[in-house]
Amino acid sequence: MATSPALDVPPEGPPFKRLKTGSNGVSTASSPAPSHMADLAEQVDAQERQKYIKGRKLGSGQYADVYSAHLVSDPTQLVAIKKIKVGAEAKEFGISYDSLREIKFLQELDHPNIIKLYAVFSTKSQNLNLVLEQLPQGDLLKLIQDTSNITYTPADIKSWMLMLMRATHFCHANYVLHRDIKPNNLLIASDGSIKLADFGLARSFADPFQKMTYNTVTIWYRPPELFFQAQYYGGKVDVWSCGCVFAELVARDVMFRAWPENEINMVKMICDKIGTPTEDNWPGVSKMKGYVTPTEVVPLRPKEHWMAQFRAVGETGVDLLMKMLLLDPRKRLSAEEVLKHPFWTAEPRPSRLEDLPRKGGGMEVMGEDLKRRGGEIPNGGGAGGRGDKVARKIDFGAMK
Amino acid sequence: MTQALSEDDIYRTSTQYRLWSFSPDALASLRTKTREIAVERLRRSSEQQAARNDEPEVVEYLTEDEELRLTQRYCDQIRSTSDHLKWPVHVKATAVQYLKRFYLSNSCMTYPPKEIYKTVLYLASKTEAIHITVSDYARRISTDPEQVLAPEYKVMQALRFTLDVKQPFRGLKGVLMELLNLAEGLVGAVDGADSMNGDEVKASMLQVRRPPEGNRTQWTPPSSGTLDGKHLNDRIQAAYSAARTLLDAPALLTDVYFLYTPSQILLAAMHVADEPLTSFYLSTKLPISLSTRPQILATIHACADMLAAFDQGAVLTKDERTALEAKLDKCRDPGTKDLIKAFAAMRQDGMEDGKVEEGVAQKRKAAREKNERDGDDLFGPSLPKTNEGSR
Ligand SMILES: Nc1ncnc2c1ncn2[C@@H]1O[C@H](COP(=O)(O)OP(=O)(O)O)[C@@H](O)[C@H]1O
Repeated sequence: MATSPALDVPPEGPPFKRLKTGSNGVSTASSPAPSHMADLAEQVDAQERQKYIKGRKLGSGQYADVYSAHLVSDPTQLVAIKKIKVGAEAKEFGISYDSLREIKFLQELDHPNIIKLYAVFSTKSQNLNLVLEQLPQGDLLKLIQDTSNITYTPADIKSWMLMLMRATHFCHANYVLHRDIKPNNLLIASDGSIKLADFGLARSFADPFQKMTYNTVTIWYRPPELFFQAQYYGGKVDVWSCGCVFAELVARDVMFRAWPENEINMVKMICDKIGTPTEDNWPGVSKMKGYVTPTEVVPLRPKEHWMAQFRAVGETGVDLLMKMLLLDPRKRLSAEEVLKHPFWTAEPRPSRLEDLPRKGGGMEVMGEDLKRRGGEIPNGGGAGGRGDKVARKIDFGAMK
Repeated sequence: MTQALSEDDIYRTSTQYRLWSFSPDALASLRTKTREIAVERLRRSSEQQAARNDEPEVVEYLTEDEELRLTQRYCDQIRSTSDHLKWPVHVKATAVQYLKRFYLSNSCMTYPPKEIYKTVLYLASKTEAIHITVSDYARRISTDPEQVLAPEYKVMQALRFTLDVKQPFRGLKGVLMELLNLAEGLVGAVDGADSMNGDEVKASMLQVRRPPEGNRTQWTPPSSGTLDGKHLNDRIQAAYSAARTLLDAPALLTDVYFLYTPSQILLAAMHVADEPLTSFYLSTKLPISLSTRPQILATIHACADMLAAFDQGAVLTKDERTALEAKLDKCRDPGTKDLIKAFAAMRQDGMEDGKVEEGVAQKRKAAREKNERDGDDLFGPSLPKTNEGSR
């Protein structure tokens, strides 16, 4: 605690800004119906709702419809309004865990590389509406996949990874685990920066003694300790996922694309690509509840093995990647340690935002099929899947 | 490359600091305002009724103090319900703050706490990662699930859609660890404080005077009068455990979360538990030259006074509560009486508005049931999103 957090904060908080009546247009006189005088919370809610004009639909997911909207006061200010659908499971749980988590965490996290939640309001029919930063440029997955239109350099990769790691570190410093980091949850802003989104699986790790589910994180980005059913874990799970994103950016293919996607195949694949988790490289692993590995032990892959595949980011880059994908979570770097790695200051410098590639063919062109996934390939996709048939398209010219 | 983020920086960006921290005056006037709106609403509706019946009823409204005491009683009810369910302390603390925040913008006469407290506790269980269906929850506390869910949106709105409650428990554990390290001679004082090295700190810690009468610690010095390391260790543990108790009842049943930061609250609790030990601890932490030092100490002392002054006996008894609720029944806002019906109607609209496809719901349900079979039901919900074929 050092000099104790907030020790010098005087008991005066800032004024109850938006609840202040009168001065900012909220007043008891402007209540909707004569028989029903709005209470203070209703006034604030209504005021928030009336700030926006809703426009066309931007997209729609299983949990929400997303609309473009702008501020009444300034039509050039665009936002995205995410209207949460009321599911059949509302009967069992009321407001869903996903929406509550998203709201809880995004309300607290204010960082340039995390999607901004400006406000939440409800409508008469009791729908929750999240007013989010509008990020119309698609997500990182679309860039990775669009091998025929998009080329990018190792400097671009460094720039994206730096933004991702800053976002992740910021979450961890706030005691928040994201637990679902993957390219399609990294949205691209119009200035080219990327923003970590979708906090529907996030949780806080404030209490180290509370057990947590190991059944989280999209399977391809899930770290080995979760396959072995660790019930106490921390920020290192997100670092593994970030490592997977790093590798995917370089190879333009999912690092651990087990097919069919099940846990056994994932463990096999991790053993094959990194090495088999054993007591030697991960003390205590054999006593974990879900510890099962293929009988044939693969020794840890040496650096040359990694270099063959990831040479594009140089020796320092490969060193970092290997340390983000260390099997033993205790040895794996924390987000803070990742940010202290020499990779970021080594040549090449990370690309400036304005030089980063943007979506190529456009979302419309690419069509619905690319919106799918997170791991899944339509039935019959076989072990092929995306990436196999397409040429790797990193701009090798720009590399040394 | 790495930004240094202190807990202080983080606290200042939190919604708790931005929206839910007040000066005592601001807090009082907000409550007054809320009650005024509620009373005005009641007057209008009884005027309308009088116009119809031409028999104006004289209604006696709850006073501000009565509202406060009734709310406090239900904060206590949340504590015992949460304990009954054996939920961890952070769920209880979150739920209590939800209830207290709710009644900053709502009057008990509009929404009686009896109808709200189960909802905030259920909501807190969800935001604090306890996994339980509303029917299980309702069964375990012998209530109707509809009653639990009906005010949920109303509660969310009153909470201004902010759900995170910063708490002093982890910080208190941190102080415990630091004290134990100081006692081992492992660390010295910070620069500019009493500039002692580790061994000097340890030596003078053994000399700290005994806790005075009225401190809450259970620890008493050995009859010999001379302390060794073991005694010191016991003293620290006893102070911690007394402080931990203070963070339960008094800290949750007073306004301290509105008025002070989590670290101020935990240091205040330590102060009430073992004042000399806490003063010693602070003397190793705060440089003498620090200009804000007197202010910091004064704030901690003010918070400590509030915690120490709390009297559990002053919480309404069951009979007092019953009497007050009888009075409340007569001045209860008729416009918000049937929450369940209003909720059902609105939910119907909401469903038609944006419905999740039936197949998706089915799939999600199956996945959830699987997770529950995996023995994961009580901790960390893990609802796989079905749009990602693989979780
Ligand atoms: N902040 C945003 N800015 C622009 N478009 C968005 C934003 N958030 C979501 N969308 C669009 O809405 C669609 C559905 O979003 P969302 O509900 O978050 O997806 P899912 O349910 O698949 O997680 C996305 O595929 C995207 O096209």
